[in-house]
Amino acid sequence: MKFILSRLGFYLLAFVTAVTINFFLPRMMPGDPIKSFLGRLAMNGGQITPETISALEALYGYSTSTPLWQQFFQYLGSVLAGDWGMSTRFFQPVFEVLGRGMLWTLLLVGTYLIVSYTLTTLLGIYVAWKRGTWTDSVITVGSVVVSSIPSVVMALVMYFIFASNLGWFPTSYAYHPSLDPAFSGEFIGSVAYHLVLPLLCMVALGMGNVMGMRSNMINQLGEDFIVMGWAKGVRDRKVMLHYGARNAILPMITSFAMSVGAIFGGSLIIEIIFNYPGLGQVMFQAMLARDYPLIQGYLLIMTMMVLGANFIADCLLFVLDPRLRTQLD
Amino acid sequence: MSKLVEVKNLCVDYITFNGRVRAVSDVSFHINQGEILGLAGESGCGKSTIAYSLMRLHRPPALISEGSIEFEGRDVLAMDDDQLREFRWKETSMVFQSAMNCLNPVKTIEYQFWDIFDAHGLVSSRDESIEKAKELLRIVDIPTERLFDYPHQFSGGMRQRVVIAMALALKPKLLIMDEPTTALDVVVQREILQKVYQLKEQFGFSILFITHDLSLMVELCDRIGIMYSGKLVELAPAKQILSQPLHPYAHGLGDSFPTLHGELQEMKGIPGTPLDLQNVPPGCRFAPRCFKATAACREQEPQLQQANEQRWVACVDPLKIASQTQQPEPLTQSHSEPSETTCVEAL
Repeated sequence: MKFILSRLGFYLLAFVTAVTINFFLPRMMPGDPIKSFLGRLAMNGGQITPETISALEALYGYSTSTPLWQQFFQYLGSVLAGDWGMSTRFFQPVFEVLGRGMLWTLLLVGTYLIVSYTLTTLLGIYVAWKRGTWTDSVITVGSVVVSSIPSVVMALVMYFIFASNLGWFPTSYAYHPSLDPAFSGEFIGSVAYHLVLPLLCMVALGMGNVMGMRSNMINQLGEDFIVMGWAKGVRDRKVMLHYGARNAILPMITSFAMSVGAIFGGSLIIEIIFNYPGLGQVMFQAMLARDYPLIQGYLLIMTMMVLGANFIADCLLFVLDPRLRTQLD
Repeated sequence: MSKLVEVKNLCVDYITFNGRVRAVSDVSFHINQGEILGLAGESGCGKSTIAYSLMRLHRPPALISEGSIEFEGRDVLAMDDDQLREFRWKETSMVFQSAMNCLNPVKTIEYQFWDIFDAHGLVSSRDESIEKAKELLRIVDIPTERLFDYPHQFSGGMRQRVVIAMALALKPKLLIMDEPTTALDVVVQREILQKVYQLKEQFGFSILFITHDLSLMVELCDRIGIMYSGKLVELAPAKQILSQPLHPYAHGLGDSFPTLHGELQEMKGIPGTPLDLQNVPPGCRFAPRCFKATAACREQEPQLQQANEQRWVACVDPLKIASQTQQPEPLTQSHSEPSETTCVEAL
């Protein structure tokens, strides 16, 4: 319990730091969103009046005349209150815009994490156990080759072959547009059907984890307690799972936590290519439109996701590794 | 005394990129019932490899290429997987070189005891296993409430005792101790070996004891085999091997160790380094480092031969037993009584 609280405190601190950076970083960059907006407005021949400027300042929630520190505390207060400003692209509160995409991204990334980590961990355990055989070579080399394909290429190729040409999978959306969101078999089936291809693509790209798990497992299999397991007459299967794999998954959990940020980033491209209405789509449009409040909001969400994943990993390790437990509690 | 284990012409090879390397070459010995046999030699001379062979624990790239191992007349090398699984731990158990690392770090001691009983189908319930495990912990003087702790919560000495308790769980007929106390300080080492000796007297198992510590070995063992570069070069009763060595290497080893009870003597050591097993020259393997090597030594490889009733040596020209005079041994005095009582006293 003490451990969990201390970790929570640490992540809270990390979050505040991230928010601070999130606030100051754009302000240290040359130019500001209002000027950029006014510039575009002027280019398109729009009228710029003091009212326009004050309207924009109200929209972005800050004015160049308030001192920076005051802006910062305003920002901090509104972040905690869930008021993340207005999206200049969608003309809706950032929180709502992100909330919509968030659901689908969480679904995609969540299922990816579960499927990919289960699959690669099991494969890693298996090939490490069978190391030196043909199965090992084929799976190991195959997973390295597949995972080293750039994500854009992989996604485009899959899209053109399976969605566009063969028509096995839908080319866009997260569920069939004719359906209304409902807790029905039909709707859930449609969601799952639309999820398959982007998920498959991400799982393929994540196959590199097989190598990580394989080498963890091989390291563990060289340990003395494995030999002792055999010497005790314990069955192979039990030695493999309870002695080898049980120890080999520990570093995998850490690597999982560290890769969550990259996974969210990677899902952006996949979502854009597969027209999946997650955060990726939203961000793509936000970036094109220089929608600063939305981009900042996205950064905040990413920060929370990464910190959240790390917290979950910490708790998992805490449960799975008794050495950590005594050390910290 | 009847033979418990008989090893004949055992060869163990490691397959490397440069071909096979013979780590254990043509080794024969036996262990009697209730006997403590010691194996000594430099690092890498094949002691542990032999220990692993007795339980058939070798994994590729190591393999037993020739020879036979008989345990109470059963051919260990011919056992199938299930027979082998049954055989391991029940007939022969082992205290590993690094007791520090041979416990599964993420499982409780209780689980690792249960593992043993469960694998051999000896308990019907977890509670029964817990009772048995507690009994074993009591034998090695560890408080029974520690049963549910994890390995890292024990000190090195305690962990070693836990491992010994595990090794005794199924009352094996042979206990292999592969440098069981190397990582421990002398006091803890004594305590543990004393305990093992008492248990051996109580349960009557045999022990194969492997260590670098010759003085310890001389006190504990009935007979000692000296290995050099994968070969058994001398096998003799413990009290004779250092005081009256037949093989020049055994003689050199005797000069390299301080005795426990004698006065401090100058330690001479053995010049040179162990043989590179990838490149074994013809003739005696010890010849390049031997002080009395002759041309004959470099031509033919000596085989282990019986020198007298109890002694075997692999040397073309063994030292004369009379040559003991160069070592006025207090060891021989302290061991003139029957070895068993001496051991207990000495420990």
